Amino acid sequence: MTAGADAPTPVARPGPHEGTGRAPALLLRGIDKAFDGKPALTDAGFRLEWGEVHALVGENGAGKSTIMNIAAAVYAADAGEVVVDGRDVPLKNPADAIAAGIGMVHQHFRLVGRFSVAENVALSLGGAGRKCSVAEAARLVREKAAEIGFRLDPAARIETLSVAEQQRAEILKVLLLGAGILVLDEPTAVLTEDEAQALLSLVKGLAGQGHAVVLITHKLREVAGYCDRITVMRQGRTVLAEAPIASVTMEEVARHAVGETSPAPVRSAAESAGAEVLALKGLSIARAGGGLAVDGLSLSLRAGEILGIAGVGGNGQSELVACLNGLLSVAGGHLDINGVDMTRASIAARRAAGLRVIPADRFDSAMARGLTLAENLAMTEVPTGAYGGAFRLRRGAMRKAAEQAIADREIRGGGPATQAALLSGGNAQKLLLARELAGGARVIVAHSPSRGLDMRAARAVHVALVEAVAQGAACLLVSEELEEVIALSHRITVMNRGALSAPLNAAEATPARLGELMVGHA
Amino acid sequence: MLDTALLIRRQDVPVWLSVATYAGGLIFGLCAAALCLVQLGVPANALWQEFVVQTFLTQQGLGQTLTAAIPLVLVSLGAALSMRVRFWNIGIEGQLWLGAMAATWISLHDFGPGPLRLWLMMAAALVAGALWMALPLALKLLWNVSEVISTLLMGSIAFLWVQHLLFGAWRDAATGFPTSTTLDPVERLPLLGWDQLHAGLWIALAAVVVCALLTGVTRLGFYARAVGANRRAALASGLPVLLTVCVFVLGSGALCGLAGAVIVSGTEFRLTQSIGAGYLFSGIVVAYLARSNPLGVLVVAFVLGGIYTAGNVLKVFYGVSEAVVLLAQGIVLMSVLCAQLFGDYRIVTRRRA
Ligand SMILES: Nc1ncnc2c1ncn2[C@@H]1O[C@H](COP(=O)(O)OP(=O)(O)O)[C@@H](O)[C@H]1O
Ligand SMILES: [Mg+2]
Repeated sequence: MTAGADAPTPVARPGPHEGTGRAPALLLRGIDKAFDGKPALTDAGFRLEWGEVHALVGENGAGKSTIMNIAAAVYAADAGEVVVDGRDVPLKNPADAIAAGIGMVHQHFRLVGRFSVAENVALSLGGAGRKCSVAEAARLVREKAAEIGFRLDPAARIETLSVAEQQRAEILKVLLLGAGILVLDEPTAVLTEDEAQALLSLVKGLAGQGHAVVLITHKLREVAGYCDRITVMRQGRTVLAEAPIASVTMEEVARHAVGETSPAPVRSAAESAGAEVLALKGLSIARAGGGLAVDGLSLSLRAGEILGIAGVGGNGQSELVACLNGLLSVAGGHLDINGVDMTRASIAARRAAGLRVIPADRFDSAMARGLTLAENLAMTEVPTGAYGGAFRLRRGAMRKAAEQAIADREIRGGGPATQAALLSGGNAQKLLLARELAGGARVIVAHSPSRGLDMRAARAVHVALVEAVAQGAACLLVSEELEEVIALSHRITVMNRGALSAPLNAAEATPARLGELMVGHA
Repeated sequence: MLDTALLIRRQDVPVWLSVATYAGGLIFGLCAAALCLVQLGVPANALWQEFVVQTFLTQQGLGQTLTAAIPLVLVSLGAALSMRVRFWNIGIEGQLWLGAMAATWISLHDFGPGPLRLWLMMAAALVAGALWMALPLALKLLWNVSEVISTLLMGSIAFLWVQHLLFGAWRDAATGFPTSTTLDPVERLPLLGWDQLHAGLWIALAAVVVCALLTGVTRLGFYARAVGANRRAALASGLPVLLTVCVFVLGSGALCGLAGAVIVSGTEFRLTQSIGAGYLFSGIVVAYLARSNPLGVLVVAFVLGGIYTAGNVLKVFYGVSEAVVLLAQGIVLMSVLCAQLFGDYRIVTRRRA
């Protein structure tokens, strides 16, 4: 049996609103799904028509990925039915779903990093029972790429490609597998503005050719212009189904998603800047592959202010944050904390001076999934003796401190002895903030602190940062989200190719002005 | 219409369930191994006698089991320490050889006064084991050389070194066999009166206590947990990662070295070519089954010691071949390992309408 044989081939079909009576592309009804007793979906539903782009929105943990994973037969539903193109064929495993024409591009791509694009495609086609040579796969990739209008070198190795290019490779792969129904899970989360626009236009084009597309996102604003209809989920249920995009307002959608009116954005109090606490003087940092990631960067940060560093990711932000933390060494220049030269100081010495870092990836360089909440919270303070001497660790004190922090910061999803891996993204971030903003924080370096968080969790993060600064700390906010930077910062600079623009005051920093600085035309 | 069985990963595995799966796996494995042996002609009532009564319930049997468990405990603690900081010590036998050589060297030259001799031998073994580990550790820390390869190769070098000595300078002139001369009485660990059981028992128990305190109570143990869970996060949090890794990895080598000295001065009374064989695999298996927990190591090593003792008896008195003994031991270990599935997953069966 060849996988493509009974897949619904995407030929031009009438749009969803023209009502031909054709069966929906995908119909999920009464879906229940629990993970080890914990319900993720309760009586959830979803209906997708041919030729439409359908936005699926909701907060983190609402069940968006789970319901689509059930459609793609990655998970088995506990109850409910899945009908593809009007045929009630049971989908037992992902191969069945692929054969039925469902292609899902997951948040974490399913590509072999060491293989070329063509090899990955050949691998997947082979897995779907359509063996082909790598050369043939390369030809298919080239043809398909030309057909839908983007460039991708079939011979390029996946790990050498940018995230956006990897995403294209994944989409091509899924299309070549014969997907008529395309599910993209948070596709824009990893892309820059321009890349996101390009992707969304592409998706719109595919729908025009008759494909059915699901766009999962928690940032509706971004996709609104490209979607036909929208479904909103909250806490495992479908709360707004198949609403034509023109008939709903952003506020309505937010209300459905959050279950209440959307919170007003947090704003910093007026600036009351004090003494300089962080000074970078001509700081340079080497890039892993050679060259400089940060080149002669200078800035001055004062107590009581938030200095925002906007900019497209990959312009040296990660290196700057890692270097401030002490994980990367300085190639040139100086770094002073509270007027003391800390260019070569140890990580422990930096912490003792009041430096706190909230990295973009909290489970990469801040916390450990395998440790409990109490252990993660205590980790930075154990060396200082706060939890007992070298030979006697006071686990009881750790537990008590954790109980307190969990109550104070409203961390949901577990107690002191729960593994951090079981927390949702928002709660894990609250855990990190509870640790880093507790006593002694004087310089807070926060890198994309609300990335991947839903509105409520992001708001909690912003409130925590603003409060810490109001109490006299200073914050360097490195973020790719303009809205966040503009709302929180007293001064804003833009990072471009390892250098900073001259800081703008909050009043002068309009999105347009910052946008110009970002692309380097200023 | 269809009966389906699903595996559902448990979010939290309660302690009682872990214990139950271990016990269940062990019992199942023992029964399966017993069936195998009965099939091969070992009388069923003899099995009960050998496996349980003679290995755990008589003084002599318990003595043999404990004697077999002593070096196992030490190498497994060694394996467990390095596992805790994610350093794969595949050179357990190498460090064991070094410890055995160091102890033999002290005894051959009669260093130090008689009453201190044993202590010197043990101390030398600890140092030698740690030193043999220092090179792979340094290579790993400086140039990120894979410790799997370097410790393994260091193990081969150690064995060749032993052979070089046994066929050369240290060969027993009296017999001409490639073994060192037998140890003086002061260089032997005192017997405790239960068959071969010697004072190495106290050494092993002390090592368990020290390791349990180190990992469970001290700050360093906490650091090791953090390093094992996420090394980069531990580093970024300002923990002394380098110190932690060095202590645990060198400690691993030292314990394996100590095992070598204990075998030489507790059971063999000389250095031979065969004392280290097999400890690499058993050490790793025990540490893994015990999930690198020192107290767990004690229990698992004791059980494995019993299985070895029973195996020896079967070989000698029932003419069962070495291969069959290995098969039986393998069955027991495999079923303990496989039983973990029932702890990690919940199994749900459901009828499709
Ligand atoms: N593989 C899994 N194991 C356990 N829990 C899961 C798993 N996948 C999702 N969940 C839980 O199910 C809920 C819904 O998750 P998900 O569908 O990923 O949300 P969304 O994609 O809307 O952010 C969350 O509470 C999440 O923790
Ligand atoms: Mg998701």
